[in-house]
Amino acid sequence: MTARPLGDIPPIGLGAAPAATPRRRRPSAGIGGFATFRRAYGGGIAALALLLCAFWLVVMIVLPQAMMLEQSLWSRQSAGDVSLRIDRAYTEIDLLRFDLQAAPAAEKPAMEEKVAALEAEIATLEAQEKEPPKVYGLQNYTRMSGLHFYIFVKTILYALLVTLLSLVVCYPVAYMIAHVAKPAKAAVLLLCLTVPYAINELLRVYAWLMILDYQGVINGFLQTIGLVSFEQKTWIPFLESPAAVFVAMVYAYVLFMVFPILNALQTLDRNQIEAAQDLGASTPRTHWRVIIPHAKPGIAVGCIMTFMLSVGSYSVPQIMTRGLSGDWFSQLVYRQFFVSNDWNVGAAYSFALLIVCIVFIFAVMRLFGVGIRDIAK
Amino acid sequence: MSASGGTAARGRPVELVDVEMQFGDFLAVERTSLDIRAGEFFSILGPSGCGKTTILRMISGFIEPTAGRVLIGGEDMAGRGPNARPTALIFQNLALFPLMSVAENVAFGLEARGMSKARRRDRAEELLALVGLAGQGGKKPSEMSGGQRQRVAIARALAVEPAVLLLDEPLSALDLKLRQHMRAELKQIQRQTGVTFVFITHDQGEALMMSDRIAVMRRGRVEQIGTADEIYARPATPFVATFVGENNVFRGKVTGLDADTAEIASPFGPLRGRPGGRLAVGDEAMLFVRPERMRFANGTIPDAALPAELLRRDLEGSFVTLMFAAGGEPIRVQLANGEADSAAEPGSRHTIGFAAADARVLPAGGLAEG
Repeated sequence: MTARPLGDIPPIGLGAAPAATPRRRRPSAGIGGFATFRRAYGGGIAALALLLCAFWLVVMIVLPQAMMLEQSLWSRQSAGDVSLRIDRAYTEIDLLRFDLQAAPAAEKPAMEEKVAALEAEIATLEAQEKEPPKVYGLQNYTRMSGLHFYIFVKTILYALLVTLLSLVVCYPVAYMIAHVAKPAKAAVLLLCLTVPYAINELLRVYAWLMILDYQGVINGFLQTIGLVSFEQKTWIPFLESPAAVFVAMVYAYVLFMVFPILNALQTLDRNQIEAAQDLGASTPRTHWRVIIPHAKPGIAVGCIMTFMLSVGSYSVPQIMTRGLSGDWFSQLVYRQFFVSNDWNVGAAYSFALLIVCIVFIFAVMRLFGVGIRDIAK
Repeated sequence: MSASGGTAARGRPVELVDVEMQFGDFLAVERTSLDIRAGEFFSILGPSGCGKTTILRMISGFIEPTAGRVLIGGEDMAGRGPNARPTALIFQNLALFPLMSVAENVAFGLEARGMSKARRRDRAEELLALVGLAGQGGKKPSEMSGGQRQRVAIARALAVEPAVLLLDEPLSALDLKLRQHMRAELKQIQRQTGVTFVFITHDQGEALMMSDRIAVMRRGRVEQIGTADEIYARPATPFVATFVGENNVFRGKVTGLDADTAEIASPFGPLRGRPGGRLAVGDEAMLFVRPERMRFANGTIPDAALPAELLRRDLEGSFVTLMFAAGGEPIRVQLANGEADSAAEPGSRHTIGFAAADARVLPAGGLAEG
């Protein structure tokens, strides 16, 4: 984009992040915002940007979600009953035709009329069987089986656990990089964290599969030191435990937790930490009272991202469990769409998951006492 | 200001015994010994990068000296972290906790010591009253002015009842007027509490005004320790002479030397002054005269007489600064406003001079590089 320099007009974009000064108020959105934007960049570019934003919002976000929601709210009436009625009508016609051969002439027209009526009924029923009518309602949500509901709840709990684990792992790492390690070492640490992300996510998960498999790296090591034996199948079945999925997920999504926390911690004035120490606070108290409160927005963002990624992750549980330690809800959603071919139930399931995610976001924001604006920073 | 926060003198002495601080190849503090007395307002004065903050951090425990010992109240502080030392530090940027209220800030040290909430609140209110902020504990630091934040930082540091209060240029962020006010206030709080203050500054005026004693530092070395008067009247090194206050400088080789007079051969002829430091005949030396010690040599010829042209006259209120040029060298003369010669016209020629008793001759070594 070629920005036309026009004096010292602040560069305000649509949804621009708040500028350096922390207490400056966000430029008001809407018409006023657009006017400033147009003044800074000219009408053509401003209109184009607005159009692209609108396209993005409507076509990429609103429409698919609306279609999903619509899909989730209806189902086709079951065809079982209709088929039975068609079968019965055919039998009746056959009987009538048989009777017709021996029937007295006076009764024939009435019977033929009956046959015609039945044939007409069959035609409509068959049309109905081919294209069953939509029935709107919440049945796709309410008809979730007990097992599926159990998996739904279990998946949410597991995702919460993965989020918690990631937080426990990532906070110390982020703190080390931000405040303990010397700059050169911090850069190396950061690089070590980022390098695995140059590799495809599937490969990273398969790597964990190879590590945790029956005859994988860990069991291989255990066999070497004589603790397990492959012949007697006394290996430790890591993959049959949900922990295998946790490990791979924490690994897969670690960066999404580390970076927001790191960003928040890097803005913390070192003197604050030193002041707390100087006033006699122990290390845990310094973290609890000074460092963690400062990192809250970052922790909130990290938790939200990790939770959303893990609750909706398909590949990690699919690869890691191989059907041995129970499904995650995302796998059920996949099967509704592509195995049962029931898009309506699939849409309802995924919509339920979306609602959980939204509830989670608000719960986390409430818990950490941060607003949307803090998170946007 | 109420006296409720003031307790009996509880300051303790701080001794640095042959401390040295090395960061990699860089010697931040050369072998130094300091003896700071209990209840004293002690300033460490020097330009930035001279090692004064390093000394402060050694006393507070954020760094351990690479050699030597730090004793507070006679106790060796080796191995004791900042949270286990009887010191409190006021940071240059104050480092108030922005997410806590002012009262929570002040009570933070007490909270860390496990004091009950109610007592903490009372004590915080007492301390806020001491610094003139009674009833403002509910505010956030961001809602206060610079001077008020300064006081909160002082109250927060005093809350832990330190034996030694360390101040790292806390006034440098304030505007001039507020700075002058806070100087007086700090001095008063120091007297009232009896705590030993170790005050770091690069502002010589600040150090001269507030301190009982001053250590002047340069390049990791203490050049002189003394009272403000001693430092100002009898600087021990050329650096101290030029860094603290203004001085006119004359260079030359030492030609004569006895117990209380040294003579140098300057471009203006022989000049005499009181000898200081290690001088020997033949050494390169510098002679310093304060502008306010310079006089017009009207008839009563002092020990030196220099023909000079008046370039500029700056009226600064109660005194007048006259800028002379003598043989290409600038010379400043300061006279009380209204004194006979203070109305001299720029462009006029005069003979100016000074008394040998008002001049100080010091070995030139070292200053050239700094």
